[in-house]
Amino acid sequence: MIDLVLAGPDRLAPYLLLAAALFSLGVFACVTRRNAVGYLMGIELMLNAANLNMVAYGRFRTELLAGHAQVATLFVIALAAAEAAVALALVYAIFRNIRDVDLDKIRSLNGE
Amino acid sequence: MNVATLIFWPVVAVTLAGAAGAAFARNLVYAALSLGASLVGMAGLYFFLQAEYVAVIQMIVYVGGILILILFGVMFSRDILGTSTEPSIGSRILGGLASLATLAAMGRIAWNIAGTESLGLRAQRIPTADWVGQISSTSASHLGDLLMGPWLAPFLVVAVLLTVVLVAALGLVRKDAQ
Repeated sequence: MIDLVLAGPDRLAPYLLLAAALFSLGVFACVTRRNAVGYLMGIELMLNAANLNMVAYGRFRTELLAGHAQVATLFVIALAAAEAAVALALVYAIFRNIRDVDLDKIRSLNGE
Repeated sequence: MNVATLIFWPVVAVTLAGAAGAAFARNLVYAALSLGASLVGMAGLYFFLQAEYVAVIQMIVYVGGILILILFGVMFSRDILGTSTEPSIGSRILGGLASLATLAAMGRIAWNIAGTESLGLRAQRIPTADWVGQISSTSASHLGDLLMGPWLAPFLVVAVLLTVVLVAALGLVRKDAQ
């Protein structure tokens, strides 16, 4: 345990533990948030945890894998940006209809 | 303990505290700003993992783009302070159980890896560039080679997807959408 703390960035385990914590916090946010934007924040946290896992595993494995892991991470970041854009557009469309983004109140997209 | 370790743990603390704020803060603006701190900390961790290009992209896309979008989206909320949209006890218990189960499952793997690392079975460290001009295996130019080589098909699909997303987002917010 102590040498884990002392080694710090040179070991794989701290990154994995941090990613596990971030992912579980994202799960918690997704379950408890009633606001659509808060829910989106939870999703972003989970995506970031997955990214961190990928880059960390790539960095501590063979030299060949590190580049591939980082390219895969770039794709995840691009998809996260696309997802955030569509999610915000949906939030706006819902807000225009029911004047609120409370997930418990959303029943339809046409405001009836 | 060297300088890198002294910098590393505060960065980890900022990332974790920011994520906790994003998950627990009732005020949505605070939650969004905490998420920003977490994303910046994550970019710092990518530097520690010698993923400089990913770190820069993280700062540009996540902190500069997605976070601004989220802060913009917070303004749509009727109850930004979170006083009347408190999560119910049931959803809190459910969320706590789900997140603890996830933490236990992922943490156990990380803990096992920590154990094997302590036994001397260290994961291999990638050699960094020793002198100026040497290209490491994770430099931006190498990543570009990968994107134009084995990852070319996904790259093109993502390009099409981003165009579709742009058009779809515009279609959703169109004035005469009803």
